[in-house]
Amino acid sequence: MTMLRGFLVLVLFFILGESMRVLLALPVSGGVLGMVVITFTLMVKGSVSDDLASASQGLISVLVLLIMPGVVGVFFTADQFSGQWLAVAAALLVGTFLSVLTTLLLMKLVTERGEQHRE
Amino acid sequence: MSELFSRLGVLADTLAATPILAIGLTLGAFFAGNWLFARIGRPLWLPPVLLSACLLSGVIAILAVDYQAYQQGARWLTVLLGPATVALGIPLYQQMHHIRAMWRPIVVTLPIAATLAAVYALVIAWALGATPEVLASLAPKSVTAPIAIGITEQLGGSVPLMMGGLLITGVVATLFVDLLARLLPVTDERILGFALGLNGHAIGTARAFEISHTAGAFASLGMGLTGVFTAMILPLVFHL
Repeated sequence: MTMLRGFLVLVLFFILGESMRVLLALPVSGGVLGMVVITFTLMVKGSVSDDLASASQGLISVLVLLIMPGVVGVFFTADQFSGQWLAVAAALLVGTFLSVLTTLLLMKLVTERGEQHRE
Repeated sequence: MSELFSRLGVLADTLAATPILAIGLTLGAFFAGNWLFARIGRPLWLPPVLLSACLLSGVIAILAVDYQAYQQGARWLTVLLGPATVALGIPLYQQMHHIRAMWRPIVVTLPIAATLAAVYALVIAWALGATPEVLASLAPKSVTAPIAIGITEQLGGSVPLMMGGLLITGVVATLFVDLLARLLPVTDERILGFALGLNGHAIGTARAFEISHTAGAFASLGMGLTGVFTAMILPLVFHL
């Protein structure tokens, strides 16, 4: 019961996010808009109910389950892109390596600089 | 005997007409993947999502389930991605004090890293002769699935290819974060979490929650911000 009550809150914020997306013609998905709005709402409210906390924890723990059906699709449409696999693989592997490196270095650099600044 | 066979045929049709078969298969593969993952000693390079997806594809192929029909049925699960994305706001709120303390590195890193995540992949794929459709499918590779689907459709890419790219990106981003964290070295959980979410979307975020709640919150933040930022920037950049 309590978890369902929290789920209802999440669904309502998702519907709110979708409404914003459609009515304001935003290029961002309703889920992300809902996430932004619920975060601000909680900041204003100053606390989060147990119902909502347990519902969100439950959903986050099965995030992988929810993306699986989409992932499976690649195995069934693979032959459409034959001849491009080298480009795809290189872009994903090398590209991701470079972007992870960039993120870590940038974060490290700016954080350390900020800490030195404070000292 | 032939009576039984015809009834078996009817049974298959009856089950295939409802989403319950697709839901059962997906749930079954999810738990089987997790079980197998624990049994083979939790290797980082083979996360549960990849195991489960391979199992599920195998079963769908063997049972000769129509992929489109499966996808239709599985919508009962995938529709929950919306509320699940909203749910990421809760750890974000709970960890707000950590995030406030890190606002400067986040504001500096996010636009640069999120843009480069797409640009690196696009330049490499383009140099190796990928078609515009493939490029459009690769561009949102670091963006969480519900947003990435919207971006790819807008750019004219293939959603299944994009999802495959997303999966591989999530897996290798998790690997590279672990590897580079040791080489550089970076030990700050907040930085690791942010890098996991920014580059590895939901898969990276799932991994970050394994590290700690704080890393998970930073991953949610990285994932959310990357999603919003990329969704707004990419359609503009891509048309240049």
